[in-house]
Amino acid sequence: MTTHIFSRRPRLSRREVLRQGLSGLGISAGIPLVFGRAVQAMTKEEKPGDFANPERILVVVELDGGNDGLNTVVPYGDDAYYRQRPKIAISADKVRRIDDHFGFHPSLVGFERLYKDGKFALVHGCGYDNPILSHFAAMGYWHTGVPIAGEKLGWVGRLADKMSPEARENLIVNVASQQSLAVRSRVHSPLVFDDPSRFLRVGRYEQTPLFSVLTGADGSSQPALNFLSGVASSALKSAAFVRDAWAAYSTPVNYGLELPVSQDLRKVAALIDANMPTRFYYVQYRNNDFDTHVHQVDLHARLLAYASDSIHGFIEDMNRIGRGDDVAMMVFTEFGRRVAENASGGTDHGTATPVYVIGNKVKGGQYGKPVSLTELDDGNLIYTTDYRQVYASMIGEWMGVDASTVLKGNFKPLGLFG
Amino acid sequence: MRQSWHGIWMGLTLAMMCSASTTANTGSGPDSWIGSGVPITKPEWSYDRAGHLLERLGFGGTPEEIEQLAAMTPRDAVDWLVDYGQVSNRGVPEFDESGIFDSGMEPFPRSRAEAVQRARDMGHSMGIAVKPGGDRRYQHVVNKYFYYLRSNRLENHRLGQYWAQRILLTERPFEEKIALFWHGHFATSDDKVRDYRKMARQIDLFRKQGVGNFRNLVLAVAQDPAMLVFLDAGENVKGRPNENFSREILELFTMGIGNYTENDIREAARAFTGWTNDSLAFVVKTELHDEEDKTFLGQTGNFDGAGIIDVIMAHESTARFITKKLYRYFVATDAPPKRIEQLADLLRQNNYELKPLLKAMFTARDFYAPHAYSSQIKSPVQLVLSTYRKLGVTALPGVPDFHTATESLGQKLLYPPNVAGWEGGRSWITPATLVERGNFAKQVLFPDIGEYLSPDRVLTQIYRDVGTKLNVGLDITSATVVGAASGNSMNMMSSSDMMVAISDEEYNTRYGAYHGTIMAMKRVKPVLRVPAAIDLVGMVQRQGLATTSDVVDHFQTRLLRLPLSSEHRDVLIGFLTRELGTKEIGAAISYLEEPLRMLVHLIMSTPEYQLS
Repeated sequence: MTTHIFSRRPRLSRREVLRQGLSGLGISAGIPLVFGRAVQAMTKEEKPGDFANPERILVVVELDGGNDGLNTVVPYGDDAYYRQRPKIAISADKVRRIDDHFGFHPSLVGFERLYKDGKFALVHGCGYDNPILSHFAAMGYWHTGVPIAGEKLGWVGRLADKMSPEARENLIVNVASQQSLAVRSRVHSPLVFDDPSRFLRVGRYEQTPLFSVLTGADGSSQPALNFLSGVASSALKSAAFVRDAWAAYSTPVNYGLELPVSQDLRKVAALIDANMPTRFYYVQYRNNDFDTHVHQVDLHARLLAYASDSIHGFIEDMNRIGRGDDVAMMVFTEFGRRVAENASGGTDHGTATPVYVIGNKVKGGQYGKPVSLTELDDGNLIYTTDYRQVYASMIGEWMGVDASTVLKGNFKPLGLFG
Repeated sequence: MRQSWHGIWMGLTLAMMCSASTTANTGSGPDSWIGSGVPITKPEWSYDRAGHLLERLGFGGTPEEIEQLAAMTPRDAVDWLVDYGQVSNRGVPEFDESGIFDSGMEPFPRSRAEAVQRARDMGHSMGIAVKPGGDRRYQHVVNKYFYYLRSNRLENHRLGQYWAQRILLTERPFEEKIALFWHGHFATSDDKVRDYRKMARQIDLFRKQGVGNFRNLVLAVAQDPAMLVFLDAGENVKGRPNENFSREILELFTMGIGNYTENDIREAARAFTGWTNDSLAFVVKTELHDEEDKTFLGQTGNFDGAGIIDVIMAHESTARFITKKLYRYFVATDAPPKRIEQLADLLRQNNYELKPLLKAMFTARDFYAPHAYSSQIKSPVQLVLSTYRKLGVTALPGVPDFHTATESLGQKLLYPPNVAGWEGGRSWITPATLVERGNFAKQVLFPDIGEYLSPDRVLTQIYRDVGTKLNVGLDITSATVVGAASGNSMNMMSSSDMMVAISDEEYNTRYGAYHGTIMAMKRVKPVLRVPAAIDLVGMVQRQGLATTSDVVDHFQTRLLRLPLSSEHRDVLIGFLTRELGTKEIGAAISYLEEPLRMLVHLIMSTPEYQLS
């Protein structure tokens, strides 16, 4: 079962390798039907032409915990910044200059490169009316694209629903231990996994045929059992593909330190490399790490380095495999932090935050009006760009889907793509 | 071989066509019980309902244990579980500490940078003096910093394993279950606390006050050192309040969002100023406490933390909030609003005493109604530990590793993902975690002893490389460079790489981490790596089971609340019969264990097994 299916013949297309590998597995290891069916399902889904921009992929990266936007894109030309942050401000001679006013945090080597290459759109001041300062509520607003509580589906999920009203396997992939609200969809079951190498039911030869039989009961009176049965079927169909794609993948590209975020982006790269029919990938920088209430200077420098190194690596890797033009990435966080530093050398929950959109097809530069550091709402930034304008760009300009139905309202796209 | 597989598929098809007599589900009550506060009566009490109660209020048990509960009245059974203070629990040992602390280590620096800064300022740090001259004068300080980080993590893992062991041995299942509930509610992670002693005391607090008074519990948590550290209480001082704690107490611990304003959060933070800890003790630093008036939820006064908690308790949303959370955890995710109001009233009438609420919740017909019975997706900790309890395992197995198993399923004791705790319910299940649940069953029944590496004694590849290079005589700088010779076409040096490379003159971070890890492994007591002691043949013999269908039915009863469909039951009987070469257990007794393990693995891999 665990024998290496792939000899690493780089010039054979990944799709070919997977097809051969899987059918080979079916014959030699005596695994009946299930995996074979998975391959058929995959190849059927791969037919292009059903969608607008069928080759395009959206990758969303979430920075959990409320990233400090002011110390990420530093307004070094603004005295107010230094007045409000006497201890934790990044000095003007340390920033990686973008223009006469803004500079990237010194850790953001990767972002600076992407910016200089014209692949990096910096959207200033994203937010919404009546900002909420709770992680969970604010993240919920970003996840659903609806800044009030109660929306049950995620914006990526609704986008997928609009794109394909019929259920498609593996249209959405969420690399995570738990599914994000952002990808919750009415019709599609997002494929959620964490460690692809463990995505395999292990058992004795005699048992394996029964795994595909004992999948609960559809139409049970117990709704939880129906739910579990659905997930069990989905796992049977996708596990082998994901695992084999990951096993077949290796890259010379530097993603920075071995951390969950760099690993997760490499898992996405592996699936794209294997021609997974996925259009939406959702990745988190996990565990509320950006919630820098205390002594944030060193910590924040590390967090930014890890995030920017791995994102830069991912974009470079996409170019390496020839998919750079097909991928756009959106990087966001649930809120920025308060303008003034707190007494603990950190920052508390705030409001408006920059959003970053990255890719070969992105028209690099700055979008939206920069926030004011002097006209504040109770110490917090007043947003200048509705965050749903960024979503409208990703939905309409990039994925070619009508943004107003997905977002339940009209939001002017920002013209982020060339 | 091919031929026999063909036979199996024929068998499966046949089994699906001849639908055997269905086993009636006697566990779930009628729909009319949903939302009903009427207590369940003795005639309505049954083995299945007792099993449901034990699973929800504890971690399940063997058929013998469930029979004992079923023999009581439902009221006595609930009392026995909830009034756990009256049950002797002498079989449970204390936590056997490794003793990782030595003098001078408190207060522990928050970061390596702070450890070094302290050494610069004072000439020593964490009990280690700065070298007067020579190379890397701060190296021993950095080693000590990493020693403590790593040893505390290993010791905290042992603490989590101790908790799991307690759950297998305890005579008071609800004491541990309610502690687990509060651990998820007042979610505190050692990732930030970095002190297993504080974690141990917090969990103990949940055991001692878990069924006491909710107001007193919230106050105790607000003064609990682990929580104080976790939510930055030490940073919350007069003039510069830090809102982390006050926000979470309102949003997550007592009221829920929508019942207060941002200004209430700020005012509450002022009331908690000066509340902090000195090592393991709660202290109030009066000079840092804000003595001015605060206006909180419309009331003005010179409140301190306790005063704020009293105002919170007087607010009508609080009883409803905590009642609903308890209901969703113990009864059902779909909480009938009227039922919640009834129970919340009960909590208010009893001045936030929890026992009357809990007992009413667990004795009511509602608790046994269809929306509740076997409707819950087991948490990973519940899945793992109830598996052991149902199989009569009393010593926590070392293989598979407890934390590795639960973490790969999405839960790690003493490390909740964030301050909101584990979301629970359907969020436990993804395609990958469902696969992993089946694999956990495999690891229990067929442990990988030959390939097993103990996670508390394994170095990651980076540090193994450092050790290897040092042993062949490389200097510290050369030994700690990663990937320099690997030929990776790095066209840029990443920021992360540069950070590791800095300040090698004063100390080497990677060497410090390597050295500290080795020191920690020497000091922290090892975890016994023994697989589960499971004797399935013994169970079959004691029950006097004669045929393969008896065996399948027995293990269904032992392991599942919701039985398999009759088709799937027949599939399993067919499987076991083929493996044994006979339907008669007596003829196969000498080689029964292995096929039984395969059978139990299959039952435990089903979606049905994920429900309690």
